Amino acid sequence: MLVIAGALLIFFLGMYSWNQTTHTLDDLSTDIGLEVGGAVLSPVRAAQDFLGGLWTRYVDLVAVREENEALKAHVATLETRLLANSEDLAELRRLRILLQVPVDNNWRPLGARVLSGQIGPNAVLNTITINRGYATGGRPGTPLLTNKGVVGRVLRASAHSASVLLMTDPGSRIAIFTQDSRAMGILHGNGAMRPLTVDFVPRDAGVRRGELLVTSGLDGFYPKGLPAARVVSVEPSNYSEFLAITAEPLVDLQHLEEVLLFEKTGQAPEVEENATSPSQFVGPPKPGKARRK
Amino acid sequence: MSGLGNICFWLIFTAAGLVCEMLVPRIDALVCGLIVLLQERNFKTLVWLLPLFVLLQEGLGSRPFGGSVVWYAVIVLFFHIGERFFNSGTFVFVFFLSAACGAASYALNVLMAPLQDLEVNVQQLIDSSLLQAIFLPISWCVVHYLRLCLPASSQPNPVKGENLHKIGV
Repeated sequence: MLVIAGALLIFFLGMYSWNQTTHTLDDLSTDIGLEVGGAVLSPVRAAQDFLGGLWTRYVDLVAVREENEALKAHVATLETRLLANSEDLAELRRLRILLQVPVDNNWRPLGARVLSGQIGPNAVLNTITINRGYATGGRPGTPLLTNKGVVGRVLRASAHSASVLLMTDPGSRIAIFTQDSRAMGILHGNGAMRPLTVDFVPRDAGVRRGELLVTSGLDGFYPKGLPAARVVSVEPSNYSEFLAITAEPLVDLQHLEEVLLFEKTGQAPEVEENATSPSQFVGPPKPGKARRK
Repeated sequence: MSGLGNICFWLIFTAAGLVCEMLVPRIDALVCGLIVLLQERNFKTLVWLLPLFVLLQEGLGSRPFGGSVVWYAVIVLFFHIGERFFNSGTFVFVFFLSAACGAASYALNVLMAPLQDLEVNVQQLIDSSLLQAIFLPISWCVVHYLRLCLPASSQPNPVKGENLHKIGV
């Protein structure tokens, strides 16, 4: 009995080590498990949405008139704000052409439906499952967001389903900068329902409470400029040379239904053809030459 | 009905289990299928269904491959140990087995976490282990009665144990 148990243990450890180096079993289980899981959960989610839609559209119509009026007023406000910002937008386009700053158009947005939250005993990370896989635009590493901000990125993918690591997971790291003070840092999660932390922001950065944190694009996963979180508290750290900053996600990660994937298209950024070429860049004089003069 | 009915039953059970896992996060809803199959000594079905369970749980989870293999191995071990002391077809047996499974779920997660370089959320782990321990007897009752309702030809005969399909004996 002990010999059999020992042999099984050795076999398991061998299989585990082999899989750690080759990821063969990880890939196989992801392909089969996620694909079958997605195929089972997609109709369930669709039925759930259908029944929920029936209820909200045809039965539960309490206070719809008031909500409609409030929404109309909100749309009017947003239209006014859009008109006011249109001149700034046109100016930004002109300046970009003038400075030949390429527009980052190598990301393509794709819609996806959330199938479920954590499934099964092995779902130890803060993840959700979506109905897009590597064959439909959800390759591992693809960033996800909603109209409010960043959600996370694809962790594992089968052909038509993928599991997404949420930004609140302790293993999630996002390169960000603060929108006003332009201080760079690393945003990391501390678990579901817990505030996020921003690391490596210098003490003199001038970060304020309520400031927006946007992706810097330096991590290679997220495009530059996506809103990720809002600063909740800022104070000097007791243990390091940096600020101790906590932040909250802009998106309600507990109630996600639809998300947007940003798939890399692989296209090079566009450069205006008729724009004048920039004059040769002249940097500061070399220290040695300046001294000789 | 016999062979095909049995396969259909377990495929529907697997799909229903996944829906349960979607509704109740971090529990293994398929494990009661393994216990029922062990009680029925239906090893033919176990041969194809257990690898499917392992692949599904590993694929839907976020840990490197291996946790589910150990988890199901521990349940089989507990089943065989418990079988020596209790009649394996009774609710009392399943109740004790589920308590042991809840404890095993906690212990395995704590043991596997450093091996896979993962942080352990103790509170979350205790909650999911308790949920697992509570969920198992309930789901076992449902599956057990469903199996009793099926035509006898679709169930393989147990090799030993006369009252395997009697609850609460």
